[in-house]
Amino acid sequence: MTHEALNPIPAEKPDFDAIRKDFPIFTSGAEPLHYLDSAATSQKPHCVIDAIADCYRSQYGPVHRGLYPLAEAASEAYEKARRTLADFINAPSPEEIIFTRSATEAINLVACGWAGQRLVAGDEMWVSQMEHHSNYLPWQRVCRDRGASLRVIPLDSSGQLNLDGATGLFGKNTRLIAITHLSNVLGIINPVEKLIELAAQKSIPVLIDAAQSAGHIPVDVQALNCDFLVASAHKMCGPGGIGFLFAKMESRQQTEPLLLGGGMVDQVQSGTSLWTDIPARFEAGSPNLAGALGFAVAANYIQQIGRGRIMKREHELADTAFEVLSGIDGLSIYGPDSSQHRSGILSFNIDGIHSHDVAQIAGEQGVAIRAGHHCCQPLMQHLNTSSTARASFSFYNNEEDIAALASAIHETIKILGP
Amino acid sequence: MYKTVLLDHFHNPRNKGELDAMDSVKRGSNPRCGDEIEVGIRTDDEVLESVRFRGRGCSICLASASIMSECTQGLTIQRARHLVREMVKWFDGTDSEAPSDTTLAALGAVRQHPARKKCVLLPWMALDDSLDGK
Repeated sequence: MTHEALNPIPAEKPDFDAIRKDFPIFTSGAEPLHYLDSAATSQKPHCVIDAIADCYRSQYGPVHRGLYPLAEAASEAYEKARRTLADFINAPSPEEIIFTRSATEAINLVACGWAGQRLVAGDEMWVSQMEHHSNYLPWQRVCRDRGASLRVIPLDSSGQLNLDGATGLFGKNTRLIAITHLSNVLGIINPVEKLIELAAQKSIPVLIDAAQSAGHIPVDVQALNCDFLVASAHKMCGPGGIGFLFAKMESRQQTEPLLLGGGMVDQVQSGTSLWTDIPARFEAGSPNLAGALGFAVAANYIQQIGRGRIMKREHELADTAFEVLSGIDGLSIYGPDSSQHRSGILSFNIDGIHSHDVAQIAGEQGVAIRAGHHCCQPLMQHLNTSSTARASFSFYNNEEDIAALASAIHETIKILGP
Repeated sequence: MYKTVLLDHFHNPRNKGELDAMDSVKRGSNPRCGDEIEVGIRTDDEVLESVRFRGRGCSICLASASIMSECTQGLTIQRARHLVREMVKWFDGTDSEAPSDTTLAALGAVRQHPARKKCVLLPWMALDDSLDGK
């Protein structure tokens, strides 16, 4: 299936004002909420909230652990959620989706369970300088423990990957490339298709961190041909506490489980034990039923709007914000000058004003933005700053949010500017 | 939170700049937000003759450093240590009493924002280390 087939852009103009009404948080408070922190975590539509409540209200039971009707229905609903998420990323089969607690846990599973079993001294692992700490630290540790080297793809002056500067990236010692699809700071969409194609020519597996992309731009694991891909529900309108790892069949079979316990084993004996089949092998402990059901409903909700439409909408919002913010004296936006490679994320700083002050004053104006290093200290070093302010847009935002952001920035400059 | 007194200290910091003539200089940093403050003291017979600072940080951190330099200058080392402890206690507990020095009251507004506690206390921790360095 192609991107277009999965994510058609309908001819009619979508009604994003009506879509915003799907999110009760925007009408729940006395004051307007200008939520521009969706890259940290997204807001939840009615359908997801209802799915979680309904699960606990009328469907809740143990998954894969009971023989009575309620338990059987719970198990079926859980597996149906897995199928929905497999379809969401066009995975060939549901068994390729392993539920985890988060995208972070999914990366740690690959780092410990796959890389930790095979890296040897002299091997190399590659990440990029724009990675979130969750796609950096697990590799740093496994490389340290196994005597391998962690190599870093540098960035150019606009923050984009400098593949030409990554000498040896596709070399004979490279065992895995782990890279983000979409930068949580710069909003850059990385050319992962090209990178995976070049890696595949040398049989180098690639892990894609889709935490920021899965709910915002088309993600098709068959078109990408990646070996691993991780995503998180809470960043794509779903509940907290659940994510998934997609892993190709061969890669899955080479992976040891991260967590051992109930539900992941067939036979336990005093000397040795026999793991059960995939994917249950990787899901020790009682599964998060309500999380999985909420995740699947979120995926269906996003699919219904269409990621092509969502990408276009968020791109337009970020473009408008880019234009408005660029006109403010003393404000610098990080990343490429053109909006060509951007999604809905904009990072910026104001001369002489700390990003925490910008976020605090914006918060007092009802504008929720993030400030800090965004768990990307290596990228901050590249940008030569300790922190940035970040506005991240979702399809439920609108032009009023951009105007409120601009007004909050002007207020910040009025209070703390020279 | 951004009250007149804090803004005055942010825009017109007292005792900020070179630390060459100090007896003891210690650095405090918060890698989470990039704040870096150096606090220097010069003493004369157990009395803080001069308290100065330099560095970078958010408005709260810089204003706190400026207010601290003003209200600790002239104190005995023992009294300054006591004030540091009072500040830490004030920011640790919701019902703890404000420090006896009323010029610190302006910092009290920050207590409603626990995420900024470290910003306020960073210069005080560096001062504490400077006192230890004596």
